[in-house]
Amino acid sequence: MKNKILNIKNLSKSYGAFKVTDEIAIDLNFDEIHALIGPNGAGKSTLIKQIVGSVRHDIGSIVLDQEDITDLNDVERAKIGISRTFQVSSIIPKFSALDNIILSLLDKSKETFQLFKSIRKNKELDSKAKKILKEIELSDKSNILASELSHGERRKLEVGLALAMDPKVFLFDEPMAGLDESGTKMMINLFKKIKTNSPILLIEHDMDAVFALADRVSVINYGKIVATGTVDQIRSNVLVRDVYLGYEI
Amino acid sequence: MIIEKFFNKWIMFFLILIPTCGVIFDEPYFITLATKVVILGIAGIGLNLALGYCGLISLGHAAFFGIGGYITGILSFHALNDEVLFSWPVVVSGSSEMLIIWPIAILVSALFSFIIGLLSLRTSGVYFIMITLAFAQMLYFFSISWPNYGGEDGLSIYIRNSFPMLNTMDPLSFYIISLFWLLFSIFISLKLINSPFGMSFQAIKQNEERVKSVGIETFKVKLLVFVISGTITGLAGSLYTDLNRFVSPTVLDWHTSGEIMVFVILGGMARLYGPLVGAAFFIALEQTLGSYTENWQFWLGLILILVILYARSGILGLFDKKLKHEK
Repeated sequence: MKNKILNIKNLSKSYGAFKVTDEIAIDLNFDEIHALIGPNGAGKSTLIKQIVGSVRHDIGSIVLDQEDITDLNDVERAKIGISRTFQVSSIIPKFSALDNIILSLLDKSKETFQLFKSIRKNKELDSKAKKILKEIELSDKSNILASELSHGERRKLEVGLALAMDPKVFLFDEPMAGLDESGTKMMINLFKKIKTNSPILLIEHDMDAVFALADRVSVINYGKIVATGTVDQIRSNVLVRDVYLGYEI
Repeated sequence: MIIEKFFNKWIMFFLILIPTCGVIFDEPYFITLATKVVILGIAGIGLNLALGYCGLISLGHAAFFGIGGYITGILSFHALNDEVLFSWPVVVSGSSEMLIIWPIAILVSALFSFIIGLLSLRTSGVYFIMITLAFAQMLYFFSISWPNYGGEDGLSIYIRNSFPMLNTMDPLSFYIISLFWLLFSIFISLKLINSPFGMSFQAIKQNEERVKSVGIETFKVKLLVFVISGTITGLAGSLYTDLNRFVSPTVLDWHTSGEIMVFVILGGMARLYGPLVGAAFFIALEQTLGSYTENWQFWLGLILILVILYARSGILGLFDKKLKHEK
């Protein structure tokens, strides 16, 4: 228990008779990337929404760093250290890439309710944001409006927004969707680096990336976790091949 | 190419030129008209913070405009009639001093904005529009049914409230007072929109879910913007009562909310000087077309349709170099 940063037990959510998540139990260790895979509609993104608090669960509990966060709302969960990316890019379109990152830094630096201080004169926020842009290889796009970035650049920016929060855990929902080869490579290297500070729960369809990154993999189908194990265990699991992979690896 | 900042300088130039012409040609009516533009511009600047920058479509800002107006009217009415306002728990009399009336109008407008915002901001979209409208209409009907202060007929205060060392009955003096508040409102708005807080509420307009996900308490941010917005509009209401030396339930009517919204949309939402330009345009139409036909608002409607269809960034948007480049 002590080496678990995130521990989810018995998490269920139904819409009428349809169970989107069914008694999900999943955990995340320190220094770990735990990948969650499964077919479309299996309940992966709903699970992420339940963890971040934007969808209320029916039953179950969520413990983050020994603190029960089950009854906290989405903003409170973000404040205490859950940072996410969205399945479909969610950025502030009319802000520059730099300003998107600065926005993400505001709460941590307790600047949100500074009413009359110029944001442009805040050198500390500016340099922190530039450092993050460098990390996600978007330094040259610093002043470009987020709406004008390419799809791949937006995915990177989303990861940058999550990084800026310096959270306890990252929840990444298909961060590599639409990235080119170099983008995916950059992301893999970045995730390997950041997981030592904040472990990652990763939803991803790119199996090469999953197998390159994950310390453990869980497979979800019809809202239920059907298998959890190391990459090798999952690769050789007959049920998983049947449910999701569907081919010899 | 004319760009918006350059155009803004012209606006400031006209704000000085028009009353100067009024003095030179001995036409106090022009000064009064300019004062009206300035005061309605302040009301629009207030709404612009909520509507233009934060995306809160309030159809209830007449409530704050009217509260500011009635506070001024009631305090002045009691002072002129030498009557106490209330005698329990302490005796409080009215006042005809602007320096006393303004802080009270500001505080009461802020209080009402807080209460209305606290309840309204639990909703969004069309429900938010309806609930803000409902609050304003409640106050409108309350004012109609309040005979002590004129009810439907309104309340006259005969002489303007006073300001140290200025004759407020002189149109130019009152214009200068109003201009001061306009510049102050613009200054406050400018400071806010360039602050971390401003960054938060401008982001909320674009993607509230994302803002929540980075740990920003969007409800608190929206509530504070709504309070500041309502307070500025309330201040405009106070000045408007002094300008007309009269306040009536009309200022609380939903038509007033609609007109303030028209100033913002016409001039350009989320543009610092937009509401002022919108108010000036509105008054200019009223004065020119209104002299030909009583139904001048038909033409206003037509112009509004054209602006919404072809110039969504309002009149000022037409002068925005960056926007043209983007197109």
